[in-house]
Amino acid sequence: MENSEPSPTPEDAAAALVEAEASRTHLAGTLALPSFFYAAIGAAVAVQIATAAFSITDDRVWAPIRLGGVALFVLVAAIQLVRFRQLNGVRLGGLASRVVLGTATAASISYAFALGASAWAGFNRRWWLVIVCAVAGGAAYALSGRRWWRRYQGDPASHSRGESAGWIAILGAVAIAGLVLLVLER
Amino acid sequence: MTGLDPGIQAPARLKLMTMLTAVSEAEFSTLRDSLNVSDSVLSKHVAALVSVAYVKSRKGVHLGHRTTWISLTTKGRKALSAHVAALRELIAGVE
Repeated sequence: MENSEPSPTPEDAAAALVEAEASRTHLAGTLALPSFFYAAIGAAVAVQIATAAFSITDDRVWAPIRLGGVALFVLVAAIQLVRFRQLNGVRLGGLASRVVLGTATAASISYAFALGASAWAGFNRRWWLVIVCAVAGGAAYALSGRRWWRRYQGDPASHSRGESAGWIAILGAVAIAGLVLLVLER
Repeated sequence: MTGLDPGIQAPARLKLMTMLTAVSEAEFSTLRDSLNVSDSVLSKHVAALVSVAYVKSRKGVHLGHRTTWISLTTKGRKALSAHVAALRELIAGVE
């Protein structure tokens, strides 16, 4: 490592900082989401909520359908993240966890609320309401993602990182345990 | 100047590391195009930053081509924060 670099003047330091921050802002500004990104994620979440609600409330639901919603979500999420990486040449942890996996507060709350409301509708045999709640949950999830994206574009350094791998592993383990229970209990 | 990190003092390296704070990992050509430098210049800067463990690189595939993915390490993130703080002190000293 070279140590011969002369100390910068305050003007040089200010210029270097401004340039570096402008480069970061430019990079974040050039990133684009794949086409139909929010629509795909929102639809996958809506299907997942609906199939989960039907599974919880109706014994007649066939096992593959119970898992189908989760499988579809995992497939759509993986495809969207690969498309994003191919389109931009970057990987963005914040997008994967906050937007796709829904760890952003708004996404988590709207998902839990929509799932609870869908299950309630299912127990009351109001199937149309299950669909309405699932669609609303998917839309709220997608809107939460859009909100995160705007925040990221405004301050990329603060929002680029996702949850830690350990936390994602815990969430994944809880989700898998829930799925296993869903299949075994029925 | 105390606090300034000689490994990041070159403007291109400061830009490179600052850009990496916006993503988890970036492909070599994405960084090269954003920095508007040649392959060899970027390779030199990346190698220097890898040698002090400020960034890490791994081989991968992008759009069917073999490529290099580059990311900031925890050590690099801390070094960048300290360097930026030192630059801000330097600037504030004359204001």
